[in-house]
Amino acid sequence: MKTIMDLRNDLDTSKITSEELFNESNKKAHKYQEEYNSFVTIVDEYKKEDSNSLISGIPYALKDNFSTKGILSTSSSNILKDYVPVYDATVYRKLKEAGAVLVGKTVLDELAMGGTGTTGHTGIVRNPWDKERQIGGSSAGSASSVALGIVPFSIGSDTGDSIRKPASFGGVVGFKPTYGRISRYGLFAFASSLDHVGCFTRCVKDAAIVTDILKGKDERDMTSLPDENIKYTDVLENDIKGKKLFYIKEITDLEMYKDAGSETLEVLTKFKETIENCKELGFIVEEVSIDEKLLKAIYPAYMTISCAEATSNNSNLTGIIFGPRGEGNNINDIMFDARTKGFSELIKRRFILGSYILQKENQERLFKNAQRLRRIIVDKINELFKSYDGMILPASGGIAPKFEDSIDRMSDRYLILENHMAIANFGGFPSITIPNGFVNNMPIGINITGSPFKDAETLNIAYKIEEKLGYKGLIKEEYDV
Amino acid sequence: MVTKEKLKDYAAKLMFDMDDEGYDRTLEEFETVEKHMALIGEIEGIEDVEPMTFPYVIYHATLREDEAKDCLTNEEVTLNSKEVKADQIKVPKVVG
Repeated sequence: MKTIMDLRNDLDTSKITSEELFNESNKKAHKYQEEYNSFVTIVDEYKKEDSNSLISGIPYALKDNFSTKGILSTSSSNILKDYVPVYDATVYRKLKEAGAVLVGKTVLDELAMGGTGTTGHTGIVRNPWDKERQIGGSSAGSASSVALGIVPFSIGSDTGDSIRKPASFGGVVGFKPTYGRISRYGLFAFASSLDHVGCFTRCVKDAAIVTDILKGKDERDMTSLPDENIKYTDVLENDIKGKKLFYIKEITDLEMYKDAGSETLEVLTKFKETIENCKELGFIVEEVSIDEKLLKAIYPAYMTISCAEATSNNSNLTGIIFGPRGEGNNINDIMFDARTKGFSELIKRRFILGSYILQKENQERLFKNAQRLRRIIVDKINELFKSYDGMILPASGGIAPKFEDSIDRMSDRYLILENHMAIANFGGFPSITIPNGFVNNMPIGINITGSPFKDAETLNIAYKIEEKLGYKGLIKEEYDV
Repeated sequence: MVTKEKLKDYAAKLMFDMDDEGYDRTLEEFETVEKHMALIGEIEGIEDVEPMTFPYVIYHATLREDEAKDCLTNEEVTLNSKEVKADQIKVPKVVG
């Protein structure tokens, strides 16, 4: 499947026009929609601004929790099912100005609060490698639109692992740079201290191209980082010999997951093979140990912080200024009715958890303790980053689950192996998932996380590992597993 | 101890309700939630740590000049509201 640079070349040599590319993407989007449900809205009108950027004329997809003026933006929730924004998210504005062509708005887990791709108000998103399996979430449609070959890149958001996990299940690249590197203005907030913007691509170089365009200070997002005088595409070929990576013993130890099933063991075995590949490349890779108790507390701390922040972020969903108007004789009853009808049960359960955490009597024991755990973990990883250039770990403990699969939520596999990627949200670390081959004919991924603000170095490491592994541009139709 | 009544109160504080079965399922889920929360409480000396509210310390935050910039028109503000009257969003009388 063609990358952004392949398509750039085709456009520059007039092998194809941008409008023809758009028409191809649009046709595929419609063709796959019923089967896979990647999109809430498919854009049928070709619209492009003049630009000389690398992505000028290239089609892409945008998660439906980004504000797009004049285009339905639902966040895959009934409470926003008819909401047409009156302003553009900075990300969307930058992509338009760079000449990229929007093909559609993609399905997510409702309000981005989920990891399965099954809770959007327009139905479940299916995995292109096996329709009976999840693609993961919350950026489910953004992952599947790239994995299906509809678009060469898409935009997602990542609060716990919502770009990097579906990238792993879909056999594509998923990158979230350092917190604040890309403006969050116009992203419907889930948990503001953890929310990141990022992209799905077919290869690491494309992730660098897209991030080069999106990064930068935005006066409309006070948490956005100042511009860096660096182009990520320029550093990808840098020599990595002697760079140091670490992996965490308690996340990758085969002994710990003996009872987790053969797929988990295969994922971990493949991970260890990749470590050997990294050493052959010239990386120094070492195992470090972190107290298992801390690792097991990551997921609970993530849930606590994110649900608490989500309750206040979503308090603007009242049906008064936008969204379906509720019924009632006074303004309170109207809002109460709109929210009762507008949220699914799953979202309500998360909000109740957030409300419980924020009760005065629980704040110290639950909310503050979760924030304390966050600091312990982040301090520990930052301490390691003083001696290492990156952390490398499996992106998941298995292949994409089947829709009917369930997992013991108290197991080590669930608490540690499936949820460790929230570490990068806690610390705002740049973090990228790249394909790491196949287990049972399904793609798996590895995750590389770098020190805060060192996005360039993280992409450089990932690029070199990708080159060695050779899994690039995976599309089921074109790949003989 | 979390009870169904307490869950209803937590929901009401966030201005929504659920059917009875929904509360039953939430209560069941809370058994796992409590076990998860206990994992955080088990960390030795956690109470002595400063809570972390943001990924890193921001050194570059500056205040904007107090200048009016582009803003939405009246028409844009009311575009998504279901009830509009005289260029304003209409709601039932609030003050008697």
